[in-house]
Amino acid sequence: MVTLTHYVALSSILFGLGAIGFLTRRNAMILFMSVELMLNAVNLMLVAFSEFRADMAGQIMVIFIYAVAAAEVAVGLAILIGLFRHVRSIDINKFNLLKW
Amino acid sequence: MSEVGFVFSLSQLWHVAGGQVILILAGLALIFVDIWLSARHKSSEGTIMGWFTVFALMATLGHLVFREWPLHDIVFMGVFSAEKFSVFVSCIVLMSGILAALMSIGYLRNNSLVRGEYFILLIFAVYGTIALVQSVDLLMMFIALEVMSLAVYILAAFLKGDQKSQEGALKYFLLGSFGSAFFLFGLALLFGLTGTVNLTILAKTLSAGIFEQPGVLVALGMIMAGLFFKMALVPFHMWTPDVYEGSPAVITGFMATAVKAGAFGVFVKLLFVTFTPILSLSGQPEFFTTVNLAALGAYWKPVLWWLALLTMFFGNLIAVSQENVKRMLAYSSVAHAGYMALGILAANAEGRMGVLFYLFSYTLMNLGAFGVLYILDGKERGAQTLEDYRGLGFKYPTLSFLMSLFLVAMAGLPPTAGFIGKFYVFSAAIKEGYLLLAALGVLTSVIGAYYYLRVIYMMYMKDAVREIVPGPVAAPTVIALIITALGVIYFGILPEGLARIASIAQQSLAFVF
Repeated sequence: MVTLTHYVALSSILFGLGAIGFLTRRNAMILFMSVELMLNAVNLMLVAFSEFRADMAGQIMVIFIYAVAAAEVAVGLAILIGLFRHVRSIDINKFNLLKW
Repeated sequence: MSEVGFVFSLSQLWHVAGGQVILILAGLALIFVDIWLSARHKSSEGTIMGWFTVFALMATLGHLVFREWPLHDIVFMGVFSAEKFSVFVSCIVLMSGILAALMSIGYLRNNSLVRGEYFILLIFAVYGTIALVQSVDLLMMFIALEVMSLAVYILAAFLKGDQKSQEGALKYFLLGSFGSAFFLFGLALLFGLTGTVNLTILAKTLSAGIFEQPGVLVALGMIMAGLFFKMALVPFHMWTPDVYEGSPAVITGFMATAVKAGAFGVFVKLLFVTFTPILSLSGQPEFFTTVNLAALGAYWKPVLWWLALLTMFFGNLIAVSQENVKRMLAYSSVAHAGYMALGILAANAEGRMGVLFYLFSYTLMNLGAFGVLYILDGKERGAQTLEDYRGLGFKYPTLSFLMSLFLVAMAGLPPTAGFIGKFYVFSAAIKEGYLLLAALGVLTSVIGAYYYLRVIYMMYMKDAVREIVPGPVAAPTVIALIITALGVIYFGILPEGLARIASIAQQSLAFVF
């Protein structure tokens, strides 16, 4: 039997994986994907809560979050391309013009 | 969520969120104006777009200030509220937007950057910030936060040929979206535990007994962490200096004031509407036992204590070692966030009033400083590092005098508005018994005075080593600089009026319900 706890645990683990990926990986594309993983973990949790509480509000929130995430990716990739034209790399260790 | 039964009414939308309606319409109209202008009047595109933006923002400001008071119903559909607190913060944001738009006209021309989307994005950034401050619903807060952030990410990356700008924008984007993911996770947890994301209903549900569950505390902590990223408190500040150094100078000024005002405004609202509601005027809780929720103070106050201390110290200490003046101002803005956090920590009427006053005066002096900075940083042979500022005092007396005035205000010396703001914040903290933190805060502001005054020392006491040629000064920039300079002096000498308005504004948080 899959209960609410399972869903919450799964989405928390996914969120944690996303956060760890964001902090440890050095490829800007992987960082994007990690953030997306975190957002989708939240979506999963909202849908589970929505089902559990019999309240559609949670699923409507998911739609909003999708829209925002899509806009975010569009802007983020544009910025990344802008930077790639200068550095010719997407390794964030090479983005070191600004420090301290 | 359905227990309230919201009724949609167009007149109420106009009453509560009319400013947002004006801004959206102006932003959309500007897109068409831009298409028309770039086909026909390419040469005057920047000027016309800029003035259009200024007038749209002034119309919004007019709507906010001159509508009928008191409003009979200040909450629209359980999403937006128009109590005096959010109106006051919105006015700060609009003021920052107007000054930034005025300066942008000259800035874009100096750097041959005139592109229509700049002003459109500026309007949408202002819109997002105002929607953020007005929202009383966590989901709306998230959407507004993203509208604001996405517009600002693009503006930060606006210098296409400059690697620094692109790099700063990418760092801002990555850390910003990381922060908002935390905000969202907290939102989802709260929704699961309480069944609502509306701030006022949330406050009632929490005070009914579940406020000390570990799940609720985790959720509140994550929501706050998401906001700390935007407020740039140490250790959530990593992106700040990079972004502020790389971005166009006027946009840096806008980010450091409007975006920060929005983040601080919404944090104060969240804190004192939901987590630790302030009591009504009579001292009696009106709708539910808010006394219960005071227990939450024991959780967020120690956190904010440390964040305020770290922010004040790191911001000021690292600023001392900076050679680039723009980057130095970036660290100084981190430090200023620390002083404002001190006012929030005090959690009394005077502290909240102090934060509002501080935000207002900080907006004036910071935008003024960045206005002078962009003029001095002409296209070639401009002044960027501290060494470049040597001997400017006698060659360009007006610009140097203005720069000195703004720096003195940031250092918090009388008779400027910066001194009054610091005074309110520190006295509020001392009143609540945060003696140690206030003393350390004063100590850090002495460190701050050292690096601000060092710039003035370089300008007036040293001889120039190389020739500096500032860019041309546009008329709108002159207007903006006059407004900021007069404001900094006026509110330093006669702060009572503004302080009274700020004090009424903070009290209105008790009436959001």
